[in-house]
Amino acid sequence: MSKVTKITVVMLVISMVFAGLVFANGGSEAAPAAEKSKVIIGMATDVGGLGDKSFNDGSYQGLLDAKADFGIDARVVESKQQTDYVPNLSGLAEDGAQVVFAVGFLMGDALIEAAENHPDTSFAGIDIFVDPSKAPKNVEGLLFKEQESGYVAGVVAGLLTKQYASASDRLNDDNVVGMVLGMDIPPVERYQAGFYAGVKSVNPDCKVLSVVTGTFTDQAKGKEAALAMIEQGADIIFQIAGLTGLGAINAANEAGVAAIGVDVDQSAVAPDAVITSAVKGITRAVYLTIKADLEGTFEGGGNKVFGINEDTTGISSFNKWDSIVPGDVKAAVQKAIDDLKSGKVVAPASRKEAGYEG
Amino acid sequence: MSGIASILNTDLLVATIRLSTPITLAAIGATICERSGIVNIAMEGIMIIGAFFAAVAALFTGNPWIGLLAGVVAGGIFSLIHAVATITFHLDHVVSGAVMNILSFGIVRYLMVMIFGHPGTTDAIPVGLKAYQFAIPGLSKIPVLGPVFFNQTPIVYMSFVLVVLTLIFLKKTKTGLHLRAAGEHPLALETIGVSVYKMRYLGVFVSGLLSGLAGAYLSIENSVSFTEGMANGRGFIALAAMISGGWTAIGSFVAALFFGFADAFQVRMQVFKVLNIPSEIFIIFPYVATVLAVAGLVKKSRPPKADGVDFMIEKEGA
Repeated sequence: MSKVTKITVVMLVISMVFAGLVFANGGSEAAPAAEKSKVIIGMATDVGGLGDKSFNDGSYQGLLDAKADFGIDARVVESKQQTDYVPNLSGLAEDGAQVVFAVGFLMGDALIEAAENHPDTSFAGIDIFVDPSKAPKNVEGLLFKEQESGYVAGVVAGLLTKQYASASDRLNDDNVVGMVLGMDIPPVERYQAGFYAGVKSVNPDCKVLSVVTGTFTDQAKGKEAALAMIEQGADIIFQIAGLTGLGAINAANEAGVAAIGVDVDQSAVAPDAVITSAVKGITRAVYLTIKADLEGTFEGGGNKVFGINEDTTGISSFNKWDSIVPGDVKAAVQKAIDDLKSGKVVAPASRKEAGYEG
Repeated sequence: MSGIASILNTDLLVATIRLSTPITLAAIGATICERSGIVNIAMEGIMIIGAFFAAVAALFTGNPWIGLLAGVVAGGIFSLIHAVATITFHLDHVVSGAVMNILSFGIVRYLMVMIFGHPGTTDAIPVGLKAYQFAIPGLSKIPVLGPVFFNQTPIVYMSFVLVVLTLIFLKKTKTGLHLRAAGEHPLALETIGVSVYKMRYLGVFVSGLLSGLAGAYLSIENSVSFTEGMANGRGFIALAAMISGGWTAIGSFVAALFFGFADAFQVRMQVFKVLNIPSEIFIIFPYVATVLAVAGLVKKSRPPKADGVDFMIEKEGA
């Protein structure tokens, strides 16, 4: 072996070692010596893993809540790479888990494969659409009506940007709001369509801008997208762009305007700028799915869509803005929630339904 | 409010500078590196390392200037792996660069989990370098150019100065001449008693420092936290800027400005909905511009003759 080849191999091995260390460090929290009597509920996270303060952690919390209430044996396995999906899901089933959760859109194919191989175990996939015509009967997709969260957030933005703009120095009279999107994928579009409809429901003249950044990890792009809309008078920026959106919130904060967070309560990112966040209750969805299974009402072979009636969509508390947001706006938010719950209002799930050209 | 004319304003140019700064820094670094004869495709990875260490240092000391220093130094040190691999151990430059990019990802993920307990993004730093934005009295009052070039944040000013310094270094200094010789005709340089190895180490190291600075710009000046993957291909765009800039400091700078402009422009096209076409078309615009620029200019630009060519000194008695 030539010297050059050797060096190449050494360098590659070092990178592998580092990659390996990462996951060793993350570790598996699976408890091998569990009591036989307890019901085992398993969860395989995506590569992002626990500690992301967002998607994976939210799912895991649902498992912990169920553990506290029902005394289940909760087991979680973190996926090191995409090829681990099937072994992890199957492994949990072979350990005797009654329900196995797959966390995240990317695990879709693996979920179906594992479910087909373990017909006696229930499988559930968060943000995974299960095709009812093809999927086995023991797998269920857990989806969210992000458009409802977007709608309620849109009501807040629509009212604050014009009618109640005097409530804060961060708001102006231009009657423009903006959205920063990550990749243009279905959950993101649902948030977008709902937000647009929410704004228009209370403020038909409002100009609603949006920019697609095409990435979930590029803060600089999120910032530029937000700034370009702020230049046009946008005083509230709704981010639907994951980590890219942190740049958008930062831009709003630096430019002295307001922002709305996404998925989880993002007030902590910039407490002065973040009015509220459009959230989806992943934690609660997991909890309810476990509860249903324990009660024998788990329904496979299709999708369960979580919405405002399950308290899984909506907005977070106003935090620092609680004293700024006028009572009338809060009343309008409550009304929007009630209307969505009663079915009087249906939030659009796509741009087409919303009539939004953006 | 609509129409293409309203996009063309000062804000667009300011955004161009913001977006091009990290590309400029990495591209002039790459220029110095490749002029010394070492192909460097590792700017992406070095940038990530620089961005990470800048944010961590700024977070724990509360001082963004220490963060800046940490980012630059980390970039420099990390780049030495490339130098050792390619110069001392004669590894293929592209292979080493590719490994550097993969390695940076692993190192950062590992340290993220170790320090913060989770991957993804760090906590926000207390003060970013944006807080030190200052207008140069007089010059900033010039219409259009004033706000674009003379009311800026620290690393942006540094990038302007560094472009000029790189130009002077390569063209007017003896060391610069030696460095260029290492990339054009290393044997001739060695014959006159100047170490090719030293010049090449210098080239790689300086490019590491500059890419580290580009990373620091991303995490602690343009943002207030580090996010994994935040370089998002800028290191490779910088490579394209260097090539279309003909391996010169000014050329790289102009090309970086062009790429920054393309990105700033597409965002505004989306805001104004000048054309009602799918957003994907806008998103790829800067990359298409990059490809076209490289393809169009590559014939005219000539790489250093010994760029990527290994140089091995015959040892005595060997």
